[in-house]
Amino acid sequence: MSTLMTTPPTTPPTTSDLDVSPVIRRRPRDAIRVLSAQVAAEVRTNLRVPEFLVGAVSVPVLLYAMFGSAQAGEALPAGTSVAAMMAVSFAAYGIVSLAIFTFGVDIARERGQGWLRTRRVTPLPTWVYFAGKIAMALAYSVVILAGITVVAVTLGDVRLPMETWIRLWAVLASGAIVFSTFGFAIAWLARPRAASTIGNLLFLPLSFASGFFFPLSELPPVLAEAAPWLPTYHYGRVVWAQLAPPVDVTAWTGAEATGSLWPHVAWMLGSFVVFGILAAVGWRRDREATLG
Amino acid sequence: MPATVTLTDVVKDYADVRALDHLDLSIETGRITAVLGPNGAGKTTAVDLMLGLRRPTSGRVQVLGRAADDRAVRSRVGAMLQDPGFPEATTVAEVLHLVGVAYPDPMPLHEVLEQADLAGLGGRRIAELSGGQRQRVAFGMALVGRPDVLFLDEPTVALDVDARRRFWTRIQGLAADGKTIVFTTHHLAEADEVADRVVVIHRGRVLADGSPSAVKALVAGRTIGLTSTLSVQRLAALPGVEHVDESTTEPGPRPVTLHVSDVDAAVHALVSADVPLHDLTVRDAALEDAFVHLVASAT
Repeated sequence: MSTLMTTPPTTPPTTSDLDVSPVIRRRPRDAIRVLSAQVAAEVRTNLRVPEFLVGAVSVPVLLYAMFGSAQAGEALPAGTSVAAMMAVSFAAYGIVSLAIFTFGVDIARERGQGWLRTRRVTPLPTWVYFAGKIAMALAYSVVILAGITVVAVTLGDVRLPMETWIRLWAVLASGAIVFSTFGFAIAWLARPRAASTIGNLLFLPLSFASGFFFPLSELPPVLAEAAPWLPTYHYGRVVWAQLAPPVDVTAWTGAEATGSLWPHVAWMLGSFVVFGILAAVGWRRDREATLG
Repeated sequence: MPATVTLTDVVKDYADVRALDHLDLSIETGRITAVLGPNGAGKTTAVDLMLGLRRPTSGRVQVLGRAADDRAVRSRVGAMLQDPGFPEATTVAEVLHLVGVAYPDPMPLHEVLEQADLAGLGGRRIAELSGGQRQRVAFGMALVGRPDVLFLDEPTVALDVDARRRFWTRIQGLAADGKTIVFTTHHLAEADEVADRVVVIHRGRVLADGSPSAVKALVAGRTIGLTSTLSVQRLAALPGVEHVDESTTEPGPRPVTLHVSDVDAAVHALVSADVPLHDLTVRDAALEDAFVHLVASAT
């Protein structure tokens, strides 16, 4: 074999021989250009996927139109509209499912197909990918919120002051960010082909046990007892409190509602951090495996 | 000539398989280098290392004088991977625009579509594309940032003959502009036609390295074809003849191929043998032959 070798033209160069241009300084303007291209591609891409538009965006609105708005006129003891409570509950369910499916299942698929690996050979920064997904989920959260608000006002006869609507929208949409890490954890800890099944197995029980479909006070006690251990339930508590006084939240959930929201906010932030760490561990493990 | 890419004593192990075995390789600026080898030879691993997609077990990989995964390097490198996994519902234009904005000086969309032979396909979704069209999107992705260095892993597998020809014309144009191009292939005729330099890799080592003609010369150099009644033994005994292939063992005149190291001596001896000769041809050994011979003699 050695007789067949020609001498390769290798003169190991010193660094000074090399044509190295100065490090490209990324200006904030460049980052915004890249981010807006990412967000535009994400939003437009999902507009072309009927399963997404129907499953993630239309279903919460339709379910509310069928079940929630029929409660028009009913009220909790202190006068809070049941149709309004159902509206924010279905919106919460829609946003949690959006987080699980766009952050979990979509990313798992793109990871499985190699797109995340391909991006690594380009100068596209990793954070742009995550930021793009979060921005896209926020955009579609707003679509869900708009749909449910329209149904609530027209069919559910819900009347709320504008400032309450604004606060509700803001608190509900924050769920897309809070539960993003939950989705990321699914995307990187589950095998790509299993992610869709896992997402479906998780989000229905989560939504039921958190009281998003029926008031917890009307559900079997076992679900009501599990609820305080679910971050999504605490999200619901923060949302309901924007609309109803503690006595009505107590009637709605069957659990004593104190005035303070901080324990619930702490649960949401804790879940964001814990799942964020799990997602980071999974991300690192995947990166090591592909580099290895 | 300065080196754009250097691999120094690189070892890459996967579990218990050694993919690269103390590989040394230096790619010069502004040339087209083909990395050739059978499946499993380590070609794709070598390219993945040059792209910073994998880390060497030991040894050093440098691109443009820096680590291969350095952000400044990424801004000057374009890559065409075998299976990029573009999101299926995204359009060609969206993919190319997104990748382009990440580079300091991207090509305008219409230009990259034209260069990558994708004119009129910008609005198509990835899911609607054929294999060859997807491969052209991958090429567009490699081109869009006007990179100085292009890594192409098996770039023409799914292309038809015309698309392949246009692709190589484009690559030769890029090389003429001073771009450095590294591609892997087992389509050996392409390496022969297009590359300035061929590096043959087998079992993670460099088996041969030089111009296509130098690599071909490593095997018996040339072949002589003729129709003759001379026996294999007599032909093989002629001066300059290394090896004889006969098409049939039937008696009488039949076509034979002589692999020769010295064409002049062999032809002279054939003529002096004073037996009827027909259809005499002399040609360079195809790179394919050289390759098969190299790999066979190394195993």
